[in-house]
Amino acid sequence: MPELYLRLLNRILTPILLLLAFYLLFRGHNLPGGGFIAGLMAASAIQLQILSRGHRRVRRTFGPYLNNGIGLGLAVAICAGFAGLLEGTFFKGIWFNLDLPLMASIKLGTPVVFDLGVFLVVASFTTSYLLGLSRVSDTAAHRRDEAASRSGYSTAGPDQADRGVATGTRAES
Amino acid sequence: MLAASLSVIIVSGIVLYWIRPHKHNWAGWLSALPPLAVTVWQLYTALPFLGGGAYTASGQVGALQNGAILVEQYRWIESLGLELSFRLDGLSLLFGLIISGVGAAVALYTHYYLEDDERQGYFYLSLFAFMASMLGLVWADNLLTLFVFWEGTSVTSYLLIGYSHRSAVARGGARNAFIVTAGGGLALIAGMILLGQQSGTYTISEIVARPGLTELDLYPAILILVLLGAFTKSAQFPFHWWLPGAMAAPTPASAYLHSATMVKAGIYLLARLHPALSDHPMWLWALLTFGGVTMLVGAVTAVRHWDMKALLAYATVSQLGVLTTLLAFRSEAALLAVVIGILSHALYKGPLFLVAGIVDHSTGVRDLRELGGLRHSLPVTSAAALLAALSMAGVPPLFGFVAKETLLESLFEAGEYGALAGWIAFGAATVAGAFFVTYSLTLMWEAFLRPGPTSDSDGPPQQDSLQDAPTHVHHHPAAPFVAAPLLLVVCGTVASFALQPLNRLFMPAAAAISGSPVTKYAALWHGFTPVFLTSLLAIAAGVLLFFNRAFLRREMARFPDGLRGVVVFQVLLDWIYALGQVTARFSQGYTLASQAAIVLLAATVPVAVALPQIVPADLVPSNDFIPGAPETILILMMVVSAYVTVGIRTSLGAIISLGVVGVSVTLFYVFFSAPDLALTQLLIEVLLVVLLVIVFTRLSPDIRPPMQKLKQARNVLVALAVGAFGFFLVLFNSSEAMQAAQSISGYFLHNAVPGGHGTNVVNVILVDFRAIDTMGEITVLALAALGGYALLNAPRVNLPRSISQSMEPESGENPDVRIAVEAERSGPASPTGKGGA
Repeated sequence: MPELYLRLLNRILTPILLLLAFYLLFRGHNLPGGGFIAGLMAASAIQLQILSRGHRRVRRTFGPYLNNGIGLGLAVAICAGFAGLLEGTFFKGIWFNLDLPLMASIKLGTPVVFDLGVFLVVASFTTSYLLGLSRVSDTAAHRRDEAASRSGYSTAGPDQADRGVATGTRAES
Repeated sequence: MLAASLSVIIVSGIVLYWIRPHKHNWAGWLSALPPLAVTVWQLYTALPFLGGGAYTASGQVGALQNGAILVEQYRWIESLGLELSFRLDGLSLLFGLIISGVGAAVALYTHYYLEDDERQGYFYLSLFAFMASMLGLVWADNLLTLFVFWEGTSVTSYLLIGYSHRSAVARGGARNAFIVTAGGGLALIAGMILLGQQSGTYTISEIVARPGLTELDLYPAILILVLLGAFTKSAQFPFHWWLPGAMAAPTPASAYLHSATMVKAGIYLLARLHPALSDHPMWLWALLTFGGVTMLVGAVTAVRHWDMKALLAYATVSQLGVLTTLLAFRSEAALLAVVIGILSHALYKGPLFLVAGIVDHSTGVRDLRELGGLRHSLPVTSAAALLAALSMAGVPPLFGFVAKETLLESLFEAGEYGALAGWIAFGAATVAGAFFVTYSLTLMWEAFLRPGPTSDSDGPPQQDSLQDAPTHVHHHPAAPFVAAPLLLVVCGTVASFALQPLNRLFMPAAAAISGSPVTKYAALWHGFTPVFLTSLLAIAAGVLLFFNRAFLRREMARFPDGLRGVVVFQVLLDWIYALGQVTARFSQGYTLASQAAIVLLAATVPVAVALPQIVPADLVPSNDFIPGAPETILILMMVVSAYVTVGIRTSLGAIISLGVVGVSVTLFYVFFSAPDLALTQLLIEVLLVVLLVIVFTRLSPDIRPPMQKLKQARNVLVALAVGAFGFFLVLFNSSEAMQAAQSISGYFLHNAVPGGHGTNVVNVILVDFRAIDTMGEITVLALAALGGYALLNAPRVNLPRSISQSMEPESGENPDVRIAVEAERSGPASPTGKGGA
């Protein structure tokens, strides 16, 4: 079970990180940020989740959306490119001002939509690797512990691990 | 309107997918509406042009001879000179009508063929995407537009053939068809670019109108490449075997793609480019040879097969050979015969496939050895099948007869003019005609007319020989199911009595192929000409062969398997895989460290070769790049922590000191005011360190084992080479000379706000100026995610033998441990700098 402080940190930090990711995404066109960075930020929020809640529960929450997220991101990005056709050529940026009652006018354009696609792909891609690697390392550690207990060691002793590495090294030739 | 029609088809495909058609009875009728609407629209638009002039005995028809009914153009990528342009003329009208008309019947049929299949919506989606590609292909007036749709048909047909994706046969058939047609597509795009560059335009109607293309030096190259594309698509001789393999597709797809439309795409291309390329002996002999061989091989092989669909597939191959042979000639009669051949084939072969599907659906059998007596149990279906088969055999007065008569006559005429080619083609067509009769009769008799499967001694008895009952029909077809082929057959039967109006369609099409107005027209009765007598002779020979079909089948079964196209192709494919394994062994190695070494050296060595060309004067850095105090401290920090990473004995220590290197790089970016890079680098460092800590602390021992001397030496060498490479590259880039040279950064800086509406230049470059690059990058990410998904979720990984054996005592075939071992062995060499986004 993860440490208490990690779970506490998760409660506080994950929403902040996710909000920060969106903030970075939408301010990206004018200030440091953008889809790539925001995607990585969102992924690190999820990494925190994995650390504090364990990869199984995180997978249950996010797992079903990852592959779809990558596909959707690609689709959004390519659609933003095709929208440029209306103005002449592929990937030509189309811009228009959105006047909101309280705030000043916001500039929206297809490059922002494209950036959203980049964000989706990067976030889903990184998360799927984080989850996959966490699970792989988890099961491997589990099996090693099992093998260790079968062969009489209470924990994976250093000599046993050394043997595995030594044989592995020899195999390479 | 042409582009709008394409959109209608695509959108209705998506709609059909969403409504989950397998749940609604009316979905079949609904699906037939869009293609029907497109058919009606085409007729409506074309009618004024077709009916403009009166039809007379001398065949002067309509205002439309060479002209276009409709021309549309859309800009696509102006900077590359790409445009979407469509043009509806006689030839594309004929093809468009076939595609949308047969498409409507097939769409209706599909609903009943797939019944409750949950993936029916998916099938409709693919089918309509194919229909749109095919319509776009025949309407296109730009070589590159045509090519895009051409590839579209390849991809969608791959999806349709592989519809039953759990069956290895379907997957194999789809893969083979795709490799052959897409490989031909590669040749075709090369040919089209040559053609476009040589003639100075990519617009087809302009190329076709341009004289003298056949005198170009590059004409043979263009011809060979274009023919490769057309022959692979239309299943001509050395490539003909993919078509029978594609019969693993659901029957509606076979009927639509592999008889009525897609395989005609190659024929269409030859017809389209006929005016530009045909005036050369190379064209004549190439088409005559390959078409003739295909015609004979297809016709003879068809008789051998027991499977109804395989028989029909080879019959289709044969018919495609006939069309190619006809296109070798330039006479009006031959071109008219092509046009009639295309329509008649769509109107008899399409329904025959659909009937085969109904038989399969109702009895569960497609093998002629087990079929019989269906005229009792499926009377309407049998009637449709018989009419279509008689048309295929070319029996008067059906439409197939008109097609065959026109065909033989045109070849005979070409012969009378003294050309050797004409006589060869005439002879081959007569022989093929006899076999057409044979397999048509075989199909009619064995499936529908004879009392039962065992009533003649032909095939080996499958069941108890006392039983001679018709094949059991366990599932009677619904009325609309049968209506689809019946409608097409009726069209095919009526056609030969409606030649007068139809000529208005045929003649503009033939004129578009020939490039000049034609005066020939189709007629049902030509009188007792020598051609008619030959035709009768062929029928007699066919009947004779029919009675000896058992002998034919026995003899043909002796054909060695090793020479069959599929087998040869598989051998070739295996060779390619073996070659791939050998190259992978050389270029990748087994461990992460050796892979990284190869990649890094591949980047370094070519530049190192260019190094001597740099004058030492270039390597004087400009003053901006002399480091100050903070940078010096950072550099020291990096050097120390890099040294620690390599030297330290604990994994955790190595990871952390690696992280220090990364963060120092981040600080560098901060100092040189590159916040975007700094942010990216920092995030990647954080994720990497956390991830490595998770993986390493769980999987590996805390103390790293000492490295082998040899590997150590290799790693040192690679590291030195890469370091030197980076050093000189940066030095060169920051030198006075390079700084003075024209840089692209100025353009980006000046245009970011006016052109890209953003003040963050890095981001504007990523999402606007270089958006296509970014698109490529995220596509690579998506592919990497797929690969990672497969690797990380694989239940077991096939390890190279040496590794799996060495791990035996620990873990057997546990992939996870292997990854761990890999990660360990890669050791400290893993580079951090994932750097700039």
